[in-house]
Amino acid sequence: MAALLRLENVSKRFGGIVALNQVNMEIQYGEFVGIVGPNGSGKTTLFNVINGVYFPDEGRVLFEDRDISRLPTHRRASIGLGRTFQIPRPFASATVRENVAVGAMFGSRGKETNVNESMLVAESIIERMGLSRHRDKKAELLTPVEKKLMEIARALAMKPKLLLMDEAMAGMHPGEIDRLVELLGGVAAEEEVAIVAMVEHVMRAVVGMAQKIIVLHQGEKICDAPAQEALNDPKVIECYLGYTPEEAS
Amino acid sequence: MMRTLDKYAAIFPVLVVYAVLFLLGLNMSGMWQLMATLLFYCALGQAFNIFLGMTGYVDFGYVAFVGMGTYGMAVTITSLAGTGLGGLTIIAGYIMALAFSGLLSLAVGAVALRLRGAYFAIATIGVNEGLRFLIEGTNLWGGSGGIIFTRQLNDILGKDASSALATFWADVLVLIIAVLAAITTIVYMRSKIGYALTALREDEDAAKVMGINVTMFKILAFMTSACFAGLLGATAWALKTPYVFPPEVFEIHYTIEAIIIVMLGGAGTLLGPVAGGLIYGIGKYVLSIVLPGFQLLIFAPLIIIIIVAFPDGVVGGIRNKFGHTALGRFIL
Ligand SMILES: Nc1ncnc2c1ncn2[C@@H]1O[C@H](COP(=O)(O)OP(=O)(O)OP(=O)(O)O)[C@@H](O)[C@H]1O
Ligand SMILES: [Mg+2]
Repeated sequence: MAALLRLENVSKRFGGIVALNQVNMEIQYGEFVGIVGPNGSGKTTLFNVINGVYFPDEGRVLFEDRDISRLPTHRRASIGLGRTFQIPRPFASATVRENVAVGAMFGSRGKETNVNESMLVAESIIERMGLSRHRDKKAELLTPVEKKLMEIARALAMKPKLLLMDEAMAGMHPGEIDRLVELLGGVAAEEEVAIVAMVEHVMRAVVGMAQKIIVLHQGEKICDAPAQEALNDPKVIECYLGYTPEEAS
Repeated sequence: MMRTLDKYAAIFPVLVVYAVLFLLGLNMSGMWQLMATLLFYCALGQAFNIFLGMTGYVDFGYVAFVGMGTYGMAVTITSLAGTGLGGLTIIAGYIMALAFSGLLSLAVGAVALRLRGAYFAIATIGVNEGLRFLIEGTNLWGGSGGIIFTRQLNDILGKDASSALATFWADVLVLIIAVLAAITTIVYMRSKIGYALTALREDEDAAKVMGINVTMFKILAFMTSACFAGLLGATAWALKTPYVFPPEVFEIHYTIEAIIIVMLGGAGTLLGPVAGGLIYGIGKYVLSIVLPGFQLLIFAPLIIIIIVAFPDGVVGGIRNKFGHTALGRFIL
């Protein structure tokens, strides 16, 4: 079967800055992939290109073999691309349930779900994320971690085939991260959603879950390998430490 | 059935207020004109709220749509006078009013709604002023001389009927437009349209990521709101007073009044524009009697105080307090 998502030689520049340089990658159906890279390495830009916030300057983005390089963001959502943001962006004045229901109303199942059905979908996902207590609260009243969870719930309500999570675990303590990773693992398997989680550092939790790790450095993909392999890759170690293990020893 | 009733329960307070205004006007001598004015303010607020309240975009050129509706009716009446169509002329006038304001809003919306925040607001001022200069400069529709169509209206409807229209029936039509605007608002709110608009009002980029075609929904709200403005113009500014002059119908002052009404009452709420229309209309009336000449001096700070006390508008504030009680479903 063809890959769910394919990037072919994708480049994106901002003035003189090359945020993405000739990036190639593939994500398979149902796969859990970690994207790692230091600050400014191009992770958010990568998501923005996949998701249609920016169009690539060069190269192509293929989703289920279809070229979506120039498709508007909302159309990408309706064919199965979901996303959460680095800094949560809830619909502040709406309740948690309404926020999540919006995902069901307009995401990939939007065409066949009416308002009432969307509310039911929202309730079951909210329960799953452990947010039931906050269901009728305005989203702006949630704590930052709850907002993150709500954003994930909202994205899952869209029934995406691919879920991009930008710094999903930032600001959470280890217990919360473990719980979230476990939850996502379950969702990924059950709903067959491929999850691409982006994190600043290679974290134990992500390494444990991810089928593979992609490492970005200054806009280039420097590693694309199973987790353990990526951790031991000298190029990866160099980009985080600034020198190679050989030099050090 | 019960669930549907519950879903639309919030419309009842609006209808009650309109009914009370109507009955007061009918039964208390000398009150009709005041009630008609209040109804006009409520209708204007209700119409504007569909765009301003639901999308959060501020259209400083809103009055242009009222003006276009006025012209639609005026142009139709002057060109169809003498064809013997009678009352059908008025219906044709409404269709033309809808076409004028609808098409203008589609053209403006398709371009200006790509701008955000202050840029959108400035662009809309430009449209309003530009349209006025276009009409005056190119002598379109009588240019700066405007259109006076009292005689044509008399020919079409007869003298008695057209004076009954000006003094009574036009105001009843305004009431009907206000009710239609309120129904449209609650139907939008309870459907996917309302959720899409709430989402894009709160965060446009996040709304796109959810799969919402934000441009389409903004244009829909913009056009709906503009069409109601057109109906109001055709009624309150054309049928009630059968003349139209560019400086009057493109006067930005009316847009400001509409913004104040919506903000006072509560932007994006259903009952808000009614509350805002009443507070604004009654305030202006009372002050003009008590302190003639100084009303604005007193009124401006009063409005500021209300807006500071109720940042979400009067209805928004009440809803924040009582939204969770049994009465909550009537406050929207
Ligand atoms: N809209 C933009 N305009 C100009 N430069 C940009 C823009 N977006 C990103 N950049 C630049 O592109 C590079 C990659 O940024 P990006 O946000 O993708 O990195 P990141 O890996 O997500 O970093 P962080 O860990 O800080 O979130 C940086 O040098 C950044 O300054
Ligand atoms: Mg980033």
